[in-house]
Amino acid sequence: MRYLYTLLLYAALVAPVHAAQVGYAVRNTEIKLLPYSDAATVATLDEKAKVNILLRQGGWVKINSKNGNGWVRMLSVRSESTARKPGDSGLMSMLNVGRSGSSSITTTTGIRGLSEEDLKNAQPNPAELAKMEQYAVSKSKAEKFARDGKLKSQSLDYLPGTPSAAQP
Amino acid sequence: MRYLTLSILCISLVHAIPAHAFDLDFQKALNLVKSAQQASKTVDQSEEIEIGHGIAANLLGASPLLADDKVQGYVNQVGRWLSLHSERPDLPWQFGVLASTDLNAFATPGGTIFITRGLLLRLNNESELAGVLAHEMVHVLRKHHLAALQKGARMDIASMLANEALKDKANTEVLDKAIKAGTEVYARGLDKEDEFEADRMGIVIATRAGYDPYGLPAVLEMLDASNAQDSSLALMFKTHPAPHDRLMLLEKQMAERFDDFTAPAQADKRFESEVAQLK
Repeated sequence: MRYLYTLLLYAALVAPVHAAQVGYAVRNTEIKLLPYSDAATVATLDEKAKVNILLRQGGWVKINSKNGNGWVRMLSVRSESTARKPGDSGLMSMLNVGRSGSSSITTTTGIRGLSEEDLKNAQPNPAELAKMEQYAVSKSKAEKFARDGKLKSQSLDYLPGTPSAAQP
Repeated sequence: MRYLTLSILCISLVHAIPAHAFDLDFQKALNLVKSAQQASKTVDQSEEIEIGHGIAANLLGASPLLADDKVQGYVNQVGRWLSLHSERPDLPWQFGVLASTDLNAFATPGGTIFITRGLLLRLNNESELAGVLAHEMVHVLRKHHLAALQKGARMDIASMLANEALKDKANTEVLDKAIKAGTEVYARGLDKEDEFEADRMGIVIATRAGYDPYGLPAVLEMLDASNAQDSSLALMFKTHPAPHDRLMLLEKQMAERFDDFTAPAQADKRFESEVAQLK
């Protein structure tokens, strides 16, 4: 039943990545047949091994590698850095590759304005702040927006080690 | 509070006697440190909001809002929904997309959150947007910037924040100084522990709101693979721990705890159409 659910999720949730993103393993990790920790283990992916990242589902990514093909935990792999590419438009992400036209984004001319110096010298713009306040939405509007997106509240504590939340 | 104001007053008066200057300077410094430490407790919510709005106006002076009502409305709905899953749902939360092509996001005290157009365009779905906004919201919930302001600003500003000066609104000079010092925090960055805390708490808030817990990690992964020399990332990289380090910590903290949470397709898919006109 759980696996059937997974298959249904594939159809609905998973945006396939058109071209595989190259990445590498940050540790030895098990390659699973399906994106679950209790799924059958296909092989062990070696630390630093190259992988082709095909798609992501939740905390799992589907990969091909010399060790085998299957699913590994998303946080046990990283996309290959684009640092060696020249220029200011070298940004890329494994999740962006499937999106057409994204490579042109950084070539768009636009306002920068947020360097360290810009912030130190910034003069207040109260007119923009007033405009921003008009965009704020009510709780009830936010709740309707969530219903439209089928978002459901879940109860979940902060992670262990988190200091207790600040009181208003 | 009254005692604190009185003690600062007394110390200032005594300090005017030069013969005892050395001893008293030391005592004064001690008292200023003490009062600065108490400021986060004594800056009340209306002051917090006022300082935050002042800083927000400055940030908007550096980059105006993106002129797009649809996108602004969309980001506000995601953010406001997230805020209902925090400890402070009744703050005047407001969200703005800055026109800047830089990749960055900011939070100012009292509930004002910004994301740049540059970063928004790098995201792939609503869960990633929720991850970024929830991270920023934690800075507000935990009052990270107020703490940084007191730690990094001149001690006299911090101590003035701790007294009554703001309450009677007479001393706008104090407020202006706090806002100026507060804005500089954004050029300098927060403690990296504050950033780690914002990651691990933000993930929980996004998950509570029904989003994919791995939205924020996916954004950090994208940043990790980005060109560190890219000038549009310069301030973000300077003011945050390396994405790789943040991901290593999250891997440990998240472990298998979030395996059973996924976002509904309807929410993640609407992202594309909501921001489509920006492309």
